Amino acid sequence: MHVIANFIADTWLLWILLSIGGLLFWKGISSQYFNYVFNRYVLALITLLIVSGIVFSLMEVLPGDCAEKYIAYKNTQGETITQADIAAERARMGLDQPLAVRWASWVTDLTLRGDLGFSCAKRQSVNLALGDRFWLSFMFCMVGLIFAYVIAVPFGILSAFTINKGWQDKNPQHTKSERIINTLGLSFNKLLDLQLRIISYLGLALPNFLLALSIILLYVFAGEPTPTGLFSEQWKSVPWFGETGFEFGKLQDFLGHIWLPIFVIGWSATALQLQTVRALVVDESNKLYVDAARARGVDGMALWAGYPVRHSISPLFNSVGFDFQRIFNDLPIVAVVIGLTDAAALLIEALAQTNDQELAAGILFLVALVVISMNFITDIVLAAIDPRVRKSVLGN
Amino acid sequence: MSIQRTCDNLLEIRDLSIDFNTDEGPVRAVDNVSLNIRPGEVMGLVGESGSGKSVTAKTIMRLNPSNAIIQPSSSIQLRHQEQDINVLKLRGKEMRLVRGDAVSMIFQEPMASFAPAIRISDQIIQTMQIHLGISKEEARKAGVELFERVGILQPEKRFDQYVFELSGGMRQRAMIAMALSTKPKLLIADEPTTALDVTIQAQVLELMLELREQFGMGMLFITHDLGVISKIADRITVMKKGKVVEAGTTERVLFSPEHDYTKRLLDALPNLDNLPEAPPKEPKSLVSIKDLSVTYKLAGSARKQESFTAVKNISLELPKGQIIGLVGESGSGKTSLGKALLGAAPISSGTVHYNRKKHPVDFGTDKAVNRKKLAKTAQLVFQDPYSSLNPRMTVRDIIAEPLEAMKLTKNRDETDKKVIAIAKRCHIDVAHLRRFPHAFSGGQRQRISIARALVCKPKFIVADESVAALDVSIQAEILALLKELREELGITILFISHDLSVIANLCDWVCVMKHGELIEQGNVRDIFLDPQETYTQQLIASIPLLEKKSNTDIKQKTKPLAQTQDQRNHVWEAG
Amino acid sequence: MIITRIFSKLRGKSANLEGDAYYTAGQMALIKARFKRKTTGVIAAWILGSIIFMGFFAGFFSPVDPTISGADKDYRRGAPQVVYFWDQNGFSFRPFTYTYQKEKAKIDLSALAGGGLAALDALTSSGALTSSSQNKYLIDEDKRRYLTFFVKGWEYSLIDLSMAGLDLDLRWDRHLFGVETGQIHLMGTDEDGKDVFSRTLHAIWITISIAIVALVVKLITSLFVGGVSGYFGGRVDTIMMSITEAVRVIPPIPIYLACAVALSQMDLTSIQRYFAIAVVIGALDFATLGRRLRTHILTERNQDYVLAAQLCGASTWRIIWRHLVPSFGSYIIVDTLINFPYVILAETSLSFLGLGLTEPVNSLGVLLQKAQDPDIQQNMIWQFFPVAVFVALIMAFVFVGDALRDAADPYAEKK
Repeated sequence: MHVIANFIADTWLLWILLSIGGLLFWKGISSQYFNYVFNRYVLALITLLIVSGIVFSLMEVLPGDCAEKYIAYKNTQGETITQADIAAERARMGLDQPLAVRWASWVTDLTLRGDLGFSCAKRQSVNLALGDRFWLSFMFCMVGLIFAYVIAVPFGILSAFTINKGWQDKNPQHTKSERIINTLGLSFNKLLDLQLRIISYLGLALPNFLLALSIILLYVFAGEPTPTGLFSEQWKSVPWFGETGFEFGKLQDFLGHIWLPIFVIGWSATALQLQTVRALVVDESNKLYVDAARARGVDGMALWAGYPVRHSISPLFNSVGFDFQRIFNDLPIVAVVIGLTDAAALLIEALAQTNDQELAAGILFLVALVVISMNFITDIVLAAIDPRVRKSVLGN
Repeated sequence: MSIQRTCDNLLEIRDLSIDFNTDEGPVRAVDNVSLNIRPGEVMGLVGESGSGKSVTAKTIMRLNPSNAIIQPSSSIQLRHQEQDINVLKLRGKEMRLVRGDAVSMIFQEPMASFAPAIRISDQIIQTMQIHLGISKEEARKAGVELFERVGILQPEKRFDQYVFELSGGMRQRAMIAMALSTKPKLLIADEPTTALDVTIQAQVLELMLELREQFGMGMLFITHDLGVISKIADRITVMKKGKVVEAGTTERVLFSPEHDYTKRLLDALPNLDNLPEAPPKEPKSLVSIKDLSVTYKLAGSARKQESFTAVKNISLELPKGQIIGLVGESGSGKTSLGKALLGAAPISSGTVHYNRKKHPVDFGTDKAVNRKKLAKTAQLVFQDPYSSLNPRMTVRDIIAEPLEAMKLTKNRDETDKKVIAIAKRCHIDVAHLRRFPHAFSGGQRQRISIARALVCKPKFIVADESVAALDVSIQAEILALLKELREELGITILFISHDLSVIANLCDWVCVMKHGELIEQGNVRDIFLDPQETYTQQLIASIPLLEKKSNTDIKQKTKPLAQTQDQRNHVWEAG
Repeated sequence: MIITRIFSKLRGKSANLEGDAYYTAGQMALIKARFKRKTTGVIAAWILGSIIFMGFFAGFFSPVDPTISGADKDYRRGAPQVVYFWDQNGFSFRPFTYTYQKEKAKIDLSALAGGGLAALDALTSSGALTSSSQNKYLIDEDKRRYLTFFVKGWEYSLIDLSMAGLDLDLRWDRHLFGVETGQIHLMGTDEDGKDVFSRTLHAIWITISIAIVALVVKLITSLFVGGVSGYFGGRVDTIMMSITEAVRVIPPIPIYLACAVALSQMDLTSIQRYFAIAVVIGALDFATLGRRLRTHILTERNQDYVLAAQLCGASTWRIIWRHLVPSFGSYIIVDTLINFPYVILAETSLSFLGLGLTEPVNSLGVLLQKAQDPDIQQNMIWQFFPVAVFVALIMAFVFVGDALRDAADPYAEKK
């Protein structure tokens, strides 16, 4: 009984993965859609395997290894160490094995029970060392992503709306007053579009760390305390649920800090997203079916929202995974500037300071896992709801 | 809305002039066009691409792009509920009157005119709710009824499908149902049958005639095909380069055309009375095809290897020095057969043999193609004159490509000489040789394509739908060129086309294909006048020929040419 | 609208290809003609061009030697020196600046010697020791220093091809401008007395040349991946593309970081390090372009004109060389230009973390890194000058890239 419990505790992830795969395969026999989902699932797992290989071998280039770190640690405890001790330690840890063997054992542990390995620099398991910090980073990226979408989508559509219009209404069929009013409207839209473009290009041109720095600098000039970190000193050690119930003061303090990283990573994402939305909507609005809908008397918001915008949602949604990757890509440096303590900061620390290969590999792998899962989800969701995608991936 | 009472026309266009603002300055697309349609009348609007016919139609619905400037002198009056409404002065929501309410439109490409990710039912119901103000259930019921009426099988099921789930003919029927859903007084049909196969085209035309009787609406029918228009229109307006060149009743315009341009358009129609006789002596065969099959492997399914056989076991002799027409509807495998003759399609069985005395070429399943030998014997003229010319090479380089690729000439001078000679023969201006393809129109590009095919003096040419993308009058020029080349150079041409009119005008020998099989072959006269197989009979019957409604002597009525030139800008008010 | 009129005038002036020139214009010439119609793009291109030009001939344009040997010991942490044409002493056609002198420290050390803690307190609270007081210089408005042009100064190499293996090192000692006596610091100096303006100019070219190297490497890897994948297709394609997909999923900056850390362990000269970083950035960034090239090759391969060439008897090599390569030539150039800012951003990010180039090398990343220093933020705001140049450079690149993308789009002509 005990053995079985142990066995299951050691291999639970594999069973979950296998049963999902089995279920999808079984469903896929009768349904074309689930067959597609199964194929995607297998493909996602293969990509993950390749990612793990890349990440693992990349970490080999970082100097030092576990044995050295462990020995170095012991050294601080006052033991004298010889080269032979290091070699012995290496053999004990299996570090003298070839790369492929070590990678295989890492992947096996990972697929059996989601174990990301042991961080020698921190001397605890990677899973523990990461803990909630990964979720914190994940939340940052998600909120940044939502921020980007909330701003980019409406303004991108507006921008698309003005792209083929002039500054002036010169239509001789219009009366003079109509022309003046239309010209004012057009110029207003055009100016707004121009401003948006400049702001969005600025978002691309200003590296995130510079943006963060500039904002901090403004606080410095204003003589206000800078909103770095997640909490101010006052609230850092106060628990969320104090004696008087939920600490709203802490929440307020938290919100006062959290906007900065989100704003900073959100801006450049917004800039890029704005251009994507604009290009997509312009593309769709030039299609014949929009004209056809107009010819049926569909107009105003019903036309824009129902036709070009509605049809550009799925390609936009399709890129969510890579948008997430792009945001996370920027996060580490922002974390350094703002002084965050999330997984991104940990990643920088692991890469640049402690050369903690296991931790860095773990974080990179998790990020890739999130991106791949997002891609997987968007793929299958789009195939389920968008008839165009369904047609292209499933046939008729 | 300005209200006037003038006459009892349903639609009256006066002096319509439209400019387009482009980077090169304003371009006049429509020039002083006047036109009227009475209630229940079908007005045919004929013209080639760029003649301004579509722009005119779109202006009626106020669908012009923002860079179109309608000149102040223009007016469009629509009679609606006993009032004349100036369409050009409609603003905002008022425009719904011409957008679906009293006027609706059938577009050329039904596939592109339905939103791809919205069910057809939702699009139709939305339209009906906007204009008729009825509930969703009522709209749905009416929609399904309409679907049934336009002859869509299983209307309940089809109604809730997406546009790509329907076949080409069904799509156009759904489009018609959509246009009729608001019970318009005027229906604008912009080339509604052009994208369809001949047999389906005939069915759709039939349907439109029937519906017109039932609904009693006026119709503006836009097309470039005079055969189609003769079946449906009461009156015809012919446009060229934005101007009306001729207008009148269908009888008058088609059987006693006055303008040169109309005559040219009419010349392009098949003349079944004047088909060439079979040659007295059976010509020798140039190409022998034996049991040829073409099979494509379908990509995408890795588990089970699926394949599609486009050409099934065809045996055929192609007579030397003739123009052989290969006819079939889309998906009949005619293009695959043509490409297989050039070694550009996967042959799964059979052989192709070119009977040349000095350099016989043959290939098949067990013999690979000798590309260079074949290239000197057989060449291809492509369907699409845009994608078949490398946009990054000058015309001279394009034509010289076979010579340079196979190193047939000794030096550049010799190449240039040959290129210039063939360019002259194909009526390409020698001064244009250093230009890039983007500088040329479709017809000129097709000439370049022909010149490239001919430069290494092949004996056999496959022309794959080579005039399908061209306007009628340009088609005629290219066809004349092909005939001329056949006469002068004695080459054999396999002319692949879905257009029976073109085949009738050009070919000596005709082969009919359906679903990858050869149905019938024979002399052009026999095939068109005395088809044996039912399928061929069907095809021939659906050719839109001029329908003579009166049998008066046509030729006598034709006026001398000089007179028509003065009437270029005159608007005819015939009937 | 006045703006429209200006726009239309600019448009009218720009050389539209006319007549036969249009027809005989190749693909690149068409893109160029279309590009010229985009006003913002043309303005950005001029700004970009001048920044790069000044960066390339930085030695000529900068009045002061940017290295430590050119540091002005008498003007450390000095504020920007303003150039005047007139002051209360009158107007001058020759622009001039003033003489700056270090304020004598008002620290009374003798008081310290005799006094106790009270004197020390007075000294610290007087502000004489705070860093901001160290920037104080006296401006002597009566001692004008006039600007001179084409002045002789420190020697620099105008064009140096010795790195490319050629024995060509064109040296010169003339500079665009300078002052009669001493040095001019248009944008102030840093804590060593190095001229910020001159450093920035020199940094521009270093950063751009890194980007060029990186982009060339990127192009080679992308061409390899995309070409092999697209040309061979089938199983090779599947394997290549799943690897590319995996690379695309991993965030690139941490990977650059890992490589940079590895590089920092090696014993490299600054030039080797500089190239190594460029190669790392370029080599790992093949996923997007490689994928696009593959799709491009796959679609072009099925174009009618390629079949036409085959039927003309052209060999595979001829088809690749004459038809396929030119077909994505212009595309690659445009894509490379659009990617410039992103590569520069990657380099600056690395340098910012101290893992790319480091002092005393002048790269924009190195200069930007200093913006992190609170001392500079509070007391030497002029050291943010490189930031402004950097933003202007990237903005110009992005605007040019955007206009170019529109110009290269074959569908742009339609509307």
